[in-house]
Amino acid sequence: MSQPTLSNFIIKRPWLKRWMVPLSKWYKEAAGYRKLGLRADDLIPEESEEMQLALKRLSPKEAYDRVYRMRRAFQDYQYLSPIIKEIEQERSEREDLESMVIKKPTIKSKLPDIKSKVPDSVKSH
Amino acid sequence: MLSRAAIGRQAQRAARRSWQQQTRGLAEPASGSFQYQTGEANGVKFASRDIPGPVASLAIVAKAGTRFEPIPGLAEGLDRIAFKNTERRTTLRIQRESELLGSVLQSYHSRENVVVGAKFFQDDLPYFVELLAEVATMTKYQPHIFHEEIYPMMSLHQKSYLANTTEMAINSAHGLAFHRGLGVPLFPASSTPMKKYLDADSLSEYAASAYSQPNFALVANGVDNGELSKWVSEMFTDVPAQPAYQIKTEQSKYYGGEERIAHASGNSLVIALPGSSSPTGPFYKPEVAVLAALLGGQSSIKWSPGFSLLANATQSAPHMFIDTKSSIYSDAGLLTITMVGSASDIKNNAGKVVEALKSVAQGVDKETFTKAKALAKFKELQYGQETQAAIELTGAGLVHGGKAYQIDEVAKSVEGVTAEKVQQIAKEALENKASVSAVGDLYMLPYAEEIGLKV
Repeated sequence: MSQPTLSNFIIKRPWLKRWMVPLSKWYKEAAGYRKLGLRADDLIPEESEEMQLALKRLSPKEAYDRVYRMRRAFQDYQYLSPIIKEIEQERSEREDLESMVIKKPTIKSKLPDIKSKVPDSVKSH
Repeated sequence: MLSRAAIGRQAQRAARRSWQQQTRGLAEPASGSFQYQTGEANGVKFASRDIPGPVASLAIVAKAGTRFEPIPGLAEGLDRIAFKNTERRTTLRIQRESELLGSVLQSYHSRENVVVGAKFFQDDLPYFVELLAEVATMTKYQPHIFHEEIYPMMSLHQKSYLANTTEMAINSAHGLAFHRGLGVPLFPASSTPMKKYLDADSLSEYAASAYSQPNFALVANGVDNGELSKWVSEMFTDVPAQPAYQIKTEQSKYYGGEERIAHASGNSLVIALPGSSSPTGPFYKPEVAVLAALLGGQSSIKWSPGFSLLANATQSAPHMFIDTKSSIYSDAGLLTITMVGSASDIKNNAGKVVEALKSVAQGVDKETFTKAKALAKFKELQYGQETQAAIELTGAGLVHGGKAYQIDEVAKSVEGVTAEKVQQIAKEALENKASVSAVGDLYMLPYAEEIGLKV
């Protein structure tokens, strides 16, 4: 379904245009889809008969570009953070092992207990 | 952290018990023989022998050496990724824990096997059985480990290999003798092919085949068979029954030929002839071991050339290293004579070496033969006394044929060799094409034709 619009009404009246154009520019900035590389028409919900037919009528190049823009936009997931967490774990494990205190078993003690000096609150895993 | 979850509960309980009382006195007499006892648990084959002393050793011997790798680099990769990150603990953790317990971790590969094992105090057996089970079934094959740890080490090793003319000559001789299979070089000389073939996916698939029930065996020295059986059945529970893909084994065929490689520093000449297979294999000829001792080259007595024929033949070149070795594999073997030294020494003495070899085919002096047989038997039994002895051979024997490498039997069969058999074997060997490999100053080093060998 095409978007309902007052744009023609506003453009014909210069006093309205003078106020509305900067407002519309601000709104478009705030919407932010341009920053993701999307066009306004990419946002139109495609769950309607007209839209499906319109998509079928697109030229191959336009269709490809539309899909490309959408794939490029929906990529916001953490790809580095899990790896960074792993590296931090490795580092802290090394720290813990370095600061270890070993109690050797004597005849009286029950088991060879290996105590770590690092308090529980600091351990990250 | 270093919590109970890391060391299996059973293992910790057992370790605790063992600290309280020694399960075995150190001064207990040995059984007296070097016999291995074999067994099986959860489909995993194992062999052990109880020898006195506080230190035990345990190793996985997998049928995954360079002979069996489908693409180059996998055997080396497998031995380099042993004891790195597993599902349960990190590389650092494994290293630190084994250091704290007091042990040595080893992993290496040979032409037929990859051996991954450890030497440790007897009381820590459960810990190391669990560790080896983790290495076999739970290692993580992560791409970043390859880039950070494995490839750099492999490049460094390749550089050191390129400087070693003897290794190059021996690898070349094997290549000439067996072409593919046993002829694949132990460590490749050039760096490009490895990174193309060795990566996380190919190695994890190779490991899934190498560490499957029919393809590996556990071998232990200094460990009670009943104990080992108990821990193996408890820890080795996830070993796949079938390999990921069949490691194909073809009967090795001997070809022969000649190869010459130019090298700016160092000279080596290797002459290889078909030899004997391992005692657990089909073509075992104890005569070859005696022939190797007879030809010799290195004396066991200082400041004297000794009785061996090659040492006496090359007395004019005292600074040249010469040695004869009988390399045994599961279904074939090579008798290699290695000469390392200055190019002129090798050039002048190579002919004499071949003459000495041909003289054996004519006949063997009785006294020299007796000395050679005694030396062969001595070397065999001395080797058997080492704690590391025959781990690889026993494991390979178990995997390939189901028999362990029993040193007593081998020593007995060496005893049964006669001078005629040695003469016969020398004659047969010379009827084949020899494999001659020369690395170094090619202008000086002789061709096989020039020294009288048929290629």
